[in-house]
Amino acid sequence: MRALDVTRTALGNTMRSKLRTFLTVIAIVIGAFTLAVTTGLAAGVNQTIEDMVDGYGDQDQIYVMQASAMGQGEDTGPGPQEYDPDTAGQQSEFGQAMLTEEDIETIEGIDGITNVDPIFFVSPDYLEAPDGGQYLLSELGLPADASGMELVAGETPARDSMEITVPETWLAIFDDADDDYEDVDPESVLGETVELGISDMVRESHTVEAEVVGVSVQNLAGIGGSPMPSHALNDELYEIQSSGLDVEQDDAFVQAAADVEDMEAFEDSIKEALQEEGLVGLTVEDFMGIIQTVIDAIAWVLYGFAVIALIAASFGIVNTLLMSVQERTREIGLMKALGMSGGRIFGLFSMEAVMIGLLGSLIGVGGGVLTGVVANALLTGSGGPLGDVGGLILYAVSPVAILSITGLVVGIAFLAGTLPAARAAKKDPIEALRYE
Amino acid sequence: MSTPVLETENLVKVYGRGAARFDALKGLTFEIHDGESVAIVGKSGSGKSTLMHLLALLDEPTAGVVALEGRPVSQLDPKKVSRLRNETFGFVFQQFFLNANQSVLDNVTLPLKIGGWGRSQRNERGMEVLEQLEIADKAKNRATDLSGGQKQRVCIARALVNRPSVIFADEPTGNLDTATSEVVEDILFGLHRDQGITLVVVTHDEDLAGRCERRLHMQDGLIVAEEHGVITPGQLDTTFDPAQLGLEDEEDRA
Ligand SMILES: Nc1ncnc2c1ncn2[C@@H]1O[C@H](COP(=O)(O)OP(=O)(O)O)[C@@H](O)[C@H]1O
Ligand SMILES: [Mg+2]
Repeated sequence: MRALDVTRTALGNTMRSKLRTFLTVIAIVIGAFTLAVTTGLAAGVNQTIEDMVDGYGDQDQIYVMQASAMGQGEDTGPGPQEYDPDTAGQQSEFGQAMLTEEDIETIEGIDGITNVDPIFFVSPDYLEAPDGGQYLLSELGLPADASGMELVAGETPARDSMEITVPETWLAIFDDADDDYEDVDPESVLGETVELGISDMVRESHTVEAEVVGVSVQNLAGIGGSPMPSHALNDELYEIQSSGLDVEQDDAFVQAAADVEDMEAFEDSIKEALQEEGLVGLTVEDFMGIIQTVIDAIAWVLYGFAVIALIAASFGIVNTLLMSVQERTREIGLMKALGMSGGRIFGLFSMEAVMIGLLGSLIGVGGGVLTGVVANALLTGSGGPLGDVGGLILYAVSPVAILSITGLVVGIAFLAGTLPAARAAKKDPIEALRYE
Repeated sequence: MSTPVLETENLVKVYGRGAARFDALKGLTFEIHDGESVAIVGKSGSGKSTLMHLLALLDEPTAGVVALEGRPVSQLDPKKVSRLRNETFGFVFQQFFLNANQSVLDNVTLPLKIGGWGRSQRNERGMEVLEQLEIADKAKNRATDLSGGQKQRVCIARALVNRPSVIFADEPTGNLDTATSEVVEDILFGLHRDQGITLVVVTHDEDLAGRCERRLHMQDGLIVAEEHGVITPGQLDTTFDPAQLGLEDEEDRA
């Protein structure tokens, strides 16, 4: 029998008892669907992260913090800690070890590092629009993140000028006529001047003026979701925030962003040097790597469930085909009598299993991809609940994944088919055709 | 007479073992010549079907040899044997064994499909034999929609489709009424006469047996008598003349 005829006959046979085939296929569909959705989801989110990493440009920054803040460094154990006056007072509100001015100088001294910006958190009170309206401003973006920001208009704030960007969602404050920010042209607000209100340590209010130079959209990491000042503006605000008391206080920072001359050449040596100082340096890629590891772990758990579903489905195939072989004993005997070899009979029944697998994976993968694409469009499209997160891809279609899932499902189906197929191949034509 | 298409030598078939051992065939040696029509007759359980299965290479003997066109078959590997069956034999069964869910044409062309023919060629050949058997108008029908006689015609068409040199028929008229039997017999012997196809028929039907050129009478796994010559209805003679058997064999060798 020709391969084409084997295929055609197998397809015809599976279509003979449609309900039984359908029920067998359902289990496979569930497994294939889960695999298709999961791979697409993992691919989409990882794609988003990669896009973000790419968005950081030349990725020439390394983020430095105390090793103990990362759960690394010397062992602190659960018992009482020895008091050290030098390190006391250098912990954040949450008890994290902080970087000192001294640390910053050390970092600056490392080979390959050109500039170090300590990262500190500024809490202004309000932002005043040109028309005098004041808006609550609990959070400011970190200037160090500026390179990762997605802009719809203008540019990122220049380091040494008193400049600021605002999120797209804030545009309505510049235009009395429009309540909906989507109706405001982002270009029209560039060059406007806003005032930032901030209180010092004795709660006395101060204001600082800044020029709007860009309009941002929030990306997956949250960057661009709140107004982002330039370095100079941020420093100025910090200065005000920590002034007002007559006591001199040592500055301490949770993190510092260090600019690196040539990341490829210096990354390892810088990290090593930092480690010697009890510090840890992480690049953007390292951060994203951590996120990707988590996403991959979740994806693998889902793959596991899908594969369990497929294994359960394969028993369905075994069962269905064993029944089919039993019912078609006569037909098999006849084919053998008419000269079909055992090998071809085996091929025919394996092909039926493959057909069931193929059918299941076509429906499952097709449904999964369709669901993913539609859900992605609904959730992240404009107007969707996640539409404001710039650059977010929840689901990416990957031809390689689709082909491998189909291959896997068909492979499992084939394996499931070998037992019934071997049974069929072994049938004795005389026994099968006996009618007494 | 021409060379034997099928030969057997000391053919033994034993079913089961120990207490359940049953000697179905007890050492048969005979020849079937090309273009001959042979009937294997005998009571139920005498071993007729067992013998036919061995001749048709559907089963392997416990001992002894079956040779096809002078070549012993037992040395061939199963794949070759399948191929031989597919290309040189045609089968007609008492129970028809048509696939209910397929059309008449698909049933008839099954041996060609197994033999690896392309679809258009095998449909062409299938229609040819259906026309020959005058049931071409039923080609698209489902096999189950036919009468008994029509079904047996389809079976004969299927047996013929690969232009076999031997047709094996196990009780081909066993499920048919007398009138239909006659038609089916006419078809079989017409093919035998016109196309020189060797016929090996297992039957209870004396009428059918009588139309064969030779009858092998079986009893308890042995050929107990052999009869030559076509018997026209009415002068049926089942008596056995050993002298005649020897005479014929002498003639063959000459
Ligand atoms: N597979 C088998 N196992 C055991 N005994 C068998 C088997 N096939 C046939 N027989 C026995 O061999 C004998 C001959 O059978 P068979 O050739 O079918 O007889 P017939 O066709 O002449 O009626 C019978 O007694 C039958 O019971
Ligand atoms: Mg019988």
